[in-house]
Amino acid sequence: MIFCGLMGSMVDIFLPVYQRYAFDHFVGLGTLDTLPYYIAAFVATVAFSAVANYIAMSSAFRTEVEINRDLRDSVFSHLQTLGFSYYNGNSVGYIHSRVMSDTSKIGSLVSWSLMDGVWHLTYLLGAVVVMLVVNARLALLVLTIAPLIVLMFSIFQGKLIRSNREVREMNSIITSDFNEGITGAKTVKTLVIEDKMQRTLQEHTVKIRKKALRVAHLRGLFSSTINIGSSIALAIVLWQGGYIAEDEVGTFSLFMSYAQGIIEPMRWIIDAVSDLITCQVNIERVDKILHTEPDVVDTPEVVAKYGTVFEPKTENFEPMIGDIEIKDVTFTYPDGHEPVLEHFSLKIPFGTNVAIVGETGAGKSTLVNLICRFYDVNEGAILIDGKDVRERSQNWLHSNVGYVLQTPHLFSGSVRENLLYGNPNATDEEINRALALVSADEVVNKLERGLDSDVGEGGDLLSTGEKQLISFARAILCDPKLLILDEATASVDTLTEAKIQSAIDQVIQGRTSIVIAHRLSTVKNADCILVVKNGKIVERGTHKELLDNNGYYRALYTRQYEDEKTKALLG
Amino acid sequence: MKKRSVYWVWEFLKGTKAAFLIGIASTLITALTGMLSPQIIRLSVDQIILGEPTDDVGINSFLESFGGAAYLKENLWIPALILLAVAAVAFLTNYLYRVSNTYGAETLTKNMREKLFDRVSHLPFSWHMKNHTGDIIQRSTSDVETVKNFVSEQLTGIFRIIIMVVMSLSFMFSMNWKMALIAASCMPLILIYSLVFHKKIKTAFTECDESEGKLSAMAQENLTGVRVVRAFGREGYEKDKFVKYDRFYTGLWTKLAKIMARFWASNDIITGLEILIVMVSGAVFTVNGELSVGEYIAFISYNEMLLWPIRMLGRMLSEMSKAGVSLNRIVYIMDSEPERDKEGAGECDMTGDIAFEHVNFAYENCPELLHDVSFRVKAGTTVGIMGGTGSGKSTLMLLLDKVYDLEDPDSKITVGGVDIRDVRTEYLRSNIGIVLQEPYLFSRTLAENIGIKREGTTLEEIREAAKAAALDETIESFTDGYDTFVGERGVTLSGGQKQRTAIARALTGNTPVLIFDDSLSAVDTETDAKIRRSLEKKFGTATVFLISHRITTLKKADLILVLDHGTIKESGTHEELVAQGGIYAEVYRAQTDGVDEL
Repeated sequence: MIFCGLMGSMVDIFLPVYQRYAFDHFVGLGTLDTLPYYIAAFVATVAFSAVANYIAMSSAFRTEVEINRDLRDSVFSHLQTLGFSYYNGNSVGYIHSRVMSDTSKIGSLVSWSLMDGVWHLTYLLGAVVVMLVVNARLALLVLTIAPLIVLMFSIFQGKLIRSNREVREMNSIITSDFNEGITGAKTVKTLVIEDKMQRTLQEHTVKIRKKALRVAHLRGLFSSTINIGSSIALAIVLWQGGYIAEDEVGTFSLFMSYAQGIIEPMRWIIDAVSDLITCQVNIERVDKILHTEPDVVDTPEVVAKYGTVFEPKTENFEPMIGDIEIKDVTFTYPDGHEPVLEHFSLKIPFGTNVAIVGETGAGKSTLVNLICRFYDVNEGAILIDGKDVRERSQNWLHSNVGYVLQTPHLFSGSVRENLLYGNPNATDEEINRALALVSADEVVNKLERGLDSDVGEGGDLLSTGEKQLISFARAILCDPKLLILDEATASVDTLTEAKIQSAIDQVIQGRTSIVIAHRLSTVKNADCILVVKNGKIVERGTHKELLDNNGYYRALYTRQYEDEKTKALLG
Repeated sequence: MKKRSVYWVWEFLKGTKAAFLIGIASTLITALTGMLSPQIIRLSVDQIILGEPTDDVGINSFLESFGGAAYLKENLWIPALILLAVAAVAFLTNYLYRVSNTYGAETLTKNMREKLFDRVSHLPFSWHMKNHTGDIIQRSTSDVETVKNFVSEQLTGIFRIIIMVVMSLSFMFSMNWKMALIAASCMPLILIYSLVFHKKIKTAFTECDESEGKLSAMAQENLTGVRVVRAFGREGYEKDKFVKYDRFYTGLWTKLAKIMARFWASNDIITGLEILIVMVSGAVFTVNGELSVGEYIAFISYNEMLLWPIRMLGRMLSEMSKAGVSLNRIVYIMDSEPERDKEGAGECDMTGDIAFEHVNFAYENCPELLHDVSFRVKAGTTVGIMGGTGSGKSTLMLLLDKVYDLEDPDSKITVGGVDIRDVRTEYLRSNIGIVLQEPYLFSRTLAENIGIKREGTTLEEIREAAKAAALDETIESFTDGYDTFVGERGVTLSGGQKQRTAIARALTGNTPVLIFDDSLSAVDTETDAKIRRSLEKKFGTATVFLISHRITTLKKADLILVLDHGTIKESGTHEELVAQGGIYAEVYRAQTDGVDEL
C-alpha cells in the first residue's frame, strides 16, 4: 500500500517534467520528431500511476475496514464479559457509540492519514529534489515560503480543532432541544411553555451561528493563506527566475507548476497531524473499554476446566441438581456505601419456591444477582449443589439457570429463533410442548407465519403480554433446575393476566424457583417469603407466619390485595 | 420540487439573501483573479521576457504605463508584484466568501430550525401521535443538517464552478479557438463519467448504510438485552453473530472501496490523457507558430482549472438530489396544519363551573372511547374519578385541556358557561395545572423544572411547592440540592420522585383548575398520605380533578364519578356511593376490610 501510494504520486511529480520537455524540446527546438516517443512515455507513466493508485487506494480501504472490523469485534466481545455495574454506570447510547463510531474513526484515520501522508510526502520530496536538480538557487528561493506556511498552519489548526469541537457540542445541544420538544410535546402543551422552549432553542441557534462563523473566519484565513502562499511562490519564480524563460521556457514552467503544487501536500501533512490529535479521544475511549476489568472473573483453574464464555468446555459441565445455600453472606454493591446483606443465610433445597416481595426500588433483585453471580459476594459463599459458585464457571451457571425478566426482551428475528435462544438444540416438538405449557401456543398460532414470524426490533411487533408468554416458553425450553422469575408490573388485559398467572404456576413446578413477586397468588403459595425494605431483608417466613407477625409484610400485602381487588372490580 | 417546497425555501432564505449575494460576488472575483494570474504570466513570458511584439493596443499601453517591455524585463519584480497584488485581492475575496457564505448558510439553518421547532410545538397532539417520534426528530435534525451541508458546501460552489468553466473557456477561446475546442470537447466525457459513477456508488452506499444499520441495531439489542444474554449464558453466540454481521458489512465496504478505487484510477487515466492531448496539440500549434509560448503556458493552466470543477460537478449533482429528498421531508412538517383557535375565540371565567355535556369521543381509526358523558363540577369543588384501565379517564381530562379536540358537534365542554371551543387554547391551558400520568421532566435543574411554568418564579415559591409534594427533603438530600440537573447528563429520578416533581410543577402555577391523573401511583404508602394531607391545604379555591383508584384519595371529594368503558356508571359523594352498593361500594369494602376477609 505504502509503496503504491509512493508510486501513485509519481505522475504528479513528473507531470511538470513532461511539460518542461514539451516546452524545451518541441517549442524550443521547433521540432516534433520525438513526439511519438513522448506520447508513449506519457501514456505509460499515466497507466503506471493509475495502477499504482488503484492498488494504493484499495489497500488503504481494506486496511481501514479491517482495522474497523477487528476493533469493533474486540470491543463487542469485551463488552460481553463486563459486569452489570459497568452497564448500570454507562447508558446504552454511550456504550453503543463506543462500539460503532469510535472504532470507525480510528480505522479511517490510521489508513487514510498513512496513505495520504505517504502520497503527499513523496510528492513534496520528489518536487524538491527535481527543483534542486534543475536549478538549486531558484529552488531554495521557492522553498523559503515553506517554514512560513507550516508555522501559519500550525497556529490555525489548534484553534480550528477547538472551534470545531464547540460547534459539534452546540449541535448536540440543539438535537437534544428537539428531542425534548418532541418527546415531551404533551407536557409542553399542557404547561403552555411553547414560547419558553422556543426561546431556549433560539439562544442555542444564535450561539451555534456565532461559533460556526468563528470556524469560517479561521477557515477563510487558513485557505486564503494557502492561496497567497502559492502566489508568493509564483511571484518569486517570476521575479528571480523570469530570465530563465528566455532560454529555457520549460524550466520556467516546471518551476511555476511546482511552486503551486507543493502547497497542497504541506496542508495535507498538517491536516493529518491534527486529525491524529482529534482522534486521540476516540482511541482513549476504546482503550478504556478494553481495559475495563469485569466485576466477576473466573479463576484460571475454573477456566482450565470449564472454558471461557466464548469457548466453553461443555463436556465438563456437570448437570445441576438445584440445591442452593446462601451461607453467611455479606454484600455491598460496588457503587454502594453500606452493605445490603449482612451475614445472611438461607437454605433453598431443590423444589423450593422462594418469593421476594417489597416496594418498587426497594432492592429486591440483590439476592438474584448474587445467585446468578452477576456480582460476587464480599463475605461468605453461595453454594449450588454444595459447591461454591466460584468453583465453576459463570457459563456453567448461566446455562443451567432459567431467567425470566420483568420487561421481556426479545431479539429481532423469528419467534423460533427467540425460543431457541437458551437451547439451540430443542426440537419443534419440544418447542410446541413448551408453548402449550405456558399457553403461548395461541399467540404463535395467531401469527401469520407461525413460529417463523418476525417479532420485530426488540419484539415490538408483539404486545407486552405476548412477549411475556414467549419469554416464559424460552426459559422453560432449557428445562432449568433453577428458575428465576421477575414478575411484570406492567398492566396487561385481564385475559392475558390470567394466562400469565397460570403460566407462572406451570413453570415453577418441579424446579427450584426464586420469584421477585408482585402477584398475591404467587406470594401466597411460596414456601418462603423474603420481605425487602430499603435494600435489606427485613422479614422472612411463610405467608401465614408473616401475616400473623403483623409487621411490614402485612401492610405491604394489604395494599397489594386492595389494588388487585380494585382492579378486578373496575375491569 | 413541489410548489410548497419553493415557498418554504423562500421563507427559510429570509435574511440570508444579502449574505449569499456577497458570497457569490466574492467567489466570482476570486475566480476572476485566479484566471488573471495565468494571463499575467503569459504576458510576462511573451512580451516582457521573450520580447515578442504584439498588436494588441490594450496590452501595449498597459506595458507602456509601467515603462515599457524592455524596462520591465530588467525589473521583473514589477510583474511579480502585480501578481501578488492580484493574489492579495483573492485573499480578501476568498475570506469574504467563506465568512458570508457561512453566515448565509448558518442563518438559513437557524431559520429552518426555529421554524421547524415552532411548527412542531404548535402541531396538534393528534399529529404527534400519528407520526413516530424518532422520525420527527430525524427530520428536524439530520435532514436539516443535510440541507445545510449542501447549501454551505455545494450551492455557491455550483456558481463558482459554472463561472470558472465559462471564464476558462472564454479565455481559452479568445487565445486560440482550435485549442480551446480540443480542450472543451473532452469535458462532457469527464462530466458524464463522473455522474454515472456517483449514481452507481449511491446504491452501493445505501447498501452499506443499511447493513451498518443492521449491525448497529444488533449491537443496540445486545446492549439493552444484556441481562438476557448473561442469564442464558449466550455471550459466545452473540459474539459470533456480531462477527458474522460485521463480516458482511465489511464485505460491502470492500466492494464499495473497489468501485471507488477503480473510479479514481480510471479517472486518473482519463484526465491524464486529456492533459496529454492538450499538451501535445499545444506543442504542435506552437511549433507551427499558431500559438505563442506564453499562450501555451496559459493554456495548460486554464486546462487544469477546468478539470477540477468538472469532476466536482458530478459529485455536486448527486448531492443535490440527496438534499432535495431531505428538503421534502422538512416541508412535510412545515405543511402540517398547526393548532388554531376559532375566529373570535376569547377568554372565560376559569373560576366558574365546569360542565361536560354529552361528550362522545373516539381516537382516529379507533372505536368510540367516551359515550355520552355528562356531569357538572361546581367552582372550587373537588371531583374524584375512578375507572379501570382504558375506561377513558385520562382522555376526559385531555379533552378539557384541549390536548385533543372534541369532534362531535353535539358534545360540549363548558367552563364558566363558555364552550371551550370558543376559548383561546393558550388561555385555557395556562389556567389549568395538570399532572400527567407519565410525567416528563426537562433536562434542566430541579428548580427550573418546578418553576418552568412561569417566568420569575422565586425559589421560595418553588420550595413551597416542593414541600407540598413531599419532595423538599429528597431534593435537599442531593449534593446539588435544587440545582441538581435532571436527565441524561444528571441524576435519574425514580418514578415516584418524577411524579412528585410534576406535582410541584403543577402547584407553582397557582392555577384555578388542577388535574391529577393518577399522580401518586409510584409513590409509597407513607408519602402518599403525606402528600394528600398537604395538597388538601393547598387546593384552596381551586377546582380539582383527582383520578385515582384509591378510596383514601377520593373519599373527601365533593363528587365522585365511576367510569366504566366510556360511560358514567355511578356518581355522588362517598357516602352516597357506599350506600348505593354498586362498584364503588365494593371497591370500598375491598380496600377497607381487606386482608381479614382471607
